[in-house]
Amino acid sequence: MKKYICPICGYVYDEAKEGVKFVDLKDDWKCPLCGAPKNLFEAEAQVVEEIEELEETDELREMSYGEISALCSSLARGCDKQYLFEEAKLFTKLSDYYNKKSKTKTINNLDELLSKINEDLEKNYKQARLVATKKEDRGALRVITWGEKVSMILKSLINQYEQDKNFINKTKVYVCDICGFIYIGDNKPEICPVCKVPSFKLLEVGKEG
Amino acid sequence: MSSLRAVRNLRICSKDCLCLYVCPTGATDTETGQIDFEKCIGCGACSKACPSGAISMVPYQYPKQQVKDKLVVEKLNEIIRSKVEQEKMAQYVYDNSDDVVLKQFSKALIRANRLIVEDLYREAGYMLPQSQNTRDFLNKLLDENIENDIKDDIKKLLDMLELNE
Ligand code: SF4
Ligand code: SF4
Ligand SMILES: [Zn+2]
Ligand SMILES: [Zn+2]
Repeated sequence: MKKYICPICGYVYDEAKEGVKFVDLKDDWKCPLCGAPKNLFEAEAQVVEEIEELEETDELREMSYGEISALCSSLARGCDKQYLFEEAKLFTKLSDYYNKKSKTKTINNLDELLSKINEDLEKNYKQARLVATKKEDRGALRVITWGEKVSMILKSLINQYEQDKNFINKTKVYVCDICGFIYIGDNKPEICPVCKVPSFKLLEVGKEG
Repeated sequence: MSSLRAVRNLRICSKDCLCLYVCPTGATDTETGQIDFEKCIGCGACSKACPSGAISMVPYQYPKQQVKDKLVVEKLNEIIRSKVEQEKMAQYVYDNSDDVVLKQFSKALIRANRLIVEDLYREAGYMLPQSQNTRDFLNKLLDENIENDIKDDIKKLLDMLELNE
């Protein structure tokens, strides 16, 4: 008997209590709390990953326009929180300006996006977590934990979309305005399963036209 | 003078107007809804009285930003780069699709990636708009070849944001 854990909200599926083996659950079984699909669940005993030595490089890198735009919109939020509305407006204007200057990245299908997400999950987030743990940076650990969970959700949603393009047709799409979690379904959860913010921060993305 | 001042969060304020009665200086009673900080003496009475928790007492100067470890920043920057690229991929899908649902889905993906990156930047040394990092960033933008009105906006920001470090 094993326990399986929802990587998004932490819900525990306990085979001993449920009386049904996890593998025997239907493929379309979903986390009863947050709707995460079955294939995301992880068995409780985890393999401890090897710790590699990560070295600091001193490369000074130019920021892309897309990065500049995102930093400006981040600072706009920072000003907004401090009630500096004039400053927030200016940062938002800068963010829009650099967003227009930045180029889109051509892809042929969503698989290319998926492989970037996989790279984040398999390498980038793992390394970042290792370093943040070692340096005891809990703020960084928070952003890593949230980002990892949201990435997993994005991955599974893209997979679902590729399997059945109609799965969004008759329902709604919400994005958590704090952490970026996407929820696709009729009724949004009461709190964001990733960052735990109340549901009024889950904003709907409507269909255009 | 007090080191604190009252600010009202208009998104929470339920207009119960208790703060109007308790403020000794009339600072809470304004046509814009914002508390008049020139009148505010920072006594905190409005904040305690507000039934909605809409008024916070905030410092004139925020504490200095936490210093971030270089390697942590570097690793977060790697994720940032990757997520920005993903945002740009989703943007491409959005721009080049006529399908209503795919447009909706890619729009959500654009937004999700942007939010992830904004959050990452806060932990990668840009928590405080008043930090040296933010100043360095803005100054660097000024070196580039950009339109004059954008330059003016950047200069305005550098003037308005008092360095706190
Ligand atoms: S007491 Fe609070 S809720 Fe009422 S008007 Fe003042 S700020 Fe708004
Ligand atoms: S802190 Fe005191 S002076 Fe300032 S607005 Fe509130 S009640 Fe008025
Ligand atoms: Zn869950
Ligand atoms: Zn969230």
